[in-house]
Amino acid sequence: MAAPVPDATLATRVPPPLPSLVNGRRLRSRRLGRALRLWVPAGILILLLAMCFLLPLIVKLPSPTSGNIIYNDEPLFSPGHLLGTNVQGVDIFSQLVYGGQVTFEIGAAVTAIGIGIGGTLGVAAAYFGGWVDAVISRVLDILIAFPALVLALVIAEGLGPSEFHVILALSVFGIPAVGRIARGATLTIRGLPYMTAARLAGTRSWRTIARHVLPNIMPGIVTFSLLGIGVVIILEGALDFLGYGIPLPEASWGSMIAQGQQILTAQPEYVLIPSIALLITVVALNTLGDALRERWGVQ
Amino acid sequence: MALVQQIQLQREAGARNRARRLTGSPALRVAGRRLLAIIPVLIGVTFLTFSIMSVLPNDTAQAILGLNATPSAVAALNHTLGLDQPFWQRYWHWLTNVLHGNFGSTVQGASVNHELAVHVPTTLGLLLYALVVSVLLAIIVATLAARRPNGIMDRLSLAVSMLGLSTAPYAFAFLLIIVFAVKLSWFPVLSGPVTGPGSFFKNLTLPACSIGFGLFAIYTRLLRADLVEQMQREDYIVTAKAKGVPPWRVLTRHALRNSTFNLITVIGLNLGGLVGAAAIIETIFQVQGIGNDLLTGISNHDAPLVQGITLVFALVTVAGNLLADLAYAVLDPRIRYGSSSS
Repeated sequence: MAAPVPDATLATRVPPPLPSLVNGRRLRSRRLGRALRLWVPAGILILLLAMCFLLPLIVKLPSPTSGNIIYNDEPLFSPGHLLGTNVQGVDIFSQLVYGGQVTFEIGAAVTAIGIGIGGTLGVAAAYFGGWVDAVISRVLDILIAFPALVLALVIAEGLGPSEFHVILALSVFGIPAVGRIARGATLTIRGLPYMTAARLAGTRSWRTIARHVLPNIMPGIVTFSLLGIGVVIILEGALDFLGYGIPLPEASWGSMIAQGQQILTAQPEYVLIPSIALLITVVALNTLGDALRERWGVQ
Repeated sequence: MALVQQIQLQREAGARNRARRLTGSPALRVAGRRLLAIIPVLIGVTFLTFSIMSVLPNDTAQAILGLNATPSAVAALNHTLGLDQPFWQRYWHWLTNVLHGNFGSTVQGASVNHELAVHVPTTLGLLLYALVVSVLLAIIVATLAARRPNGIMDRLSLAVSMLGLSTAPYAFAFLLIIVFAVKLSWFPVLSGPVTGPGSFFKNLTLPACSIGFGLFAIYTRLLRADLVEQMQREDYIVTAKAKGVPPWRVLTRHALRNSTFNLITVIGLNLGGLVGAAAIIETIFQVQGIGNDLLTGISNHDAPLVQGITLVFALVTVAGNLLADLAYAVLDPRIRYGSSSS
């Protein structure tokens, strides 16, 4: 008979290398990479926000809504017009700046409403369970199955396009999304020991939610919301693009793309400039969301 | 947002199915329950559409009779069309008609049934085209990326999918038009009617690419993350490696097969999000589909048309969710036999 094989040699899993075995230089470069992944997109976003909200206060920019027709179709980098002018002679850079203001305002407002209402609904559904959960989940189901675009367009058609109505319409998209996330996150922590401890200690519901539930589900909701702002910004551009968003002549990135569409073949830069602005913003938001998710260990 | 939400949805669906501990014929039982749950959702969606369409000014009769019609003629036509009835009665009337297969008629007097019959296939074909191409590409790219995590292919695929995730489909559509329609003239700028396979590819390739790029990005990210996790965590992968199966074969035959099932679930749950994309992209390319109809319907205050289209889109969404749940139950034996999967 062969000698019995020691258990240790049967173990299939190799234990992970101990931290001390990891080469120090690689560890440092990995840490640097992590920091860069967080701060590069954050820096880009801060720059964009500063460009949109601070720059017009410091420098006198040409009007984003009207221009001199004599100076129309100026090329890129022409004097006084960094990105040139459009067919009506309106300065493209100031359109970009003021359009960016609108974009960021709407993104922030829709996300805030989403977290406020959707978060409340989701937490309530998961925390109280039973018929509360059944009703709220069904309502969220309906809102998710309902094409938000239809609602947004009908609101704009019936009430007239305005920034407030765009926020209203896009919230219908944001609320159920955050609601679902909040519900799922609350469900996973509901059975954890600290929740049971809170209940056994006789803590009131609202206090348990405020002190134990919210702090624990917030990282998930915040990272999700960062990715969500990107989607909201793209949708907002879509509404502008279709002519149901920010009313003309007020500038917005979506309507800049729509105007450029008419002379797409001759001057593609009118479509490309706002598209690139949109792309940079959303990439920055998405990578920031990814970096935070990695850092906070959110799934 | 879509990505995290989908992972969440997928988890929820998985947990629901596992919790049920199905016995007997699981697929049928899941199907039965899910079918019942669909009814309130569909009623809710149609009711919501009906309510918001009735917010629009009621000028259907005026539109039919023209601007010179007398108020009494307008009132009479309103009466014949049943538009002067209370909201609840109108909704009930519409609902019973739809259940009998009659979607009513558009403002222009055409039958909504006819409109849907002609335009639904185009839109479904477009969406299917976009889905199939993006899924196939995602499978190829994600497998190559997962072969060596953090390798060059992996970095490249992450960069491309981040780009796809962040690109507005309408902006990407213009890029495609500039390059492939204007500069290279491979495809027409505006899509003509679809008559056969040849014109299908000629007219719908650019629209499908515009819709598909974002989908491709989402699917690639999900599939790659899933593959990498399976390759590191799962016992059957260790077994396969121990048996001496070549790494590439472990990846494609063992891990990919399981990850694809998960991907199918996500795709099913994701179908609803395609509606908006279809509407915008169809407008840009002038595709004769229901997304385009939806926009004209809204600007014409054409309630019956908009209601019919919303119902079709809602049906596609819930059918996708249902199929996803079923696919999960049928394809994953752990759920079928109700054993715990951990």
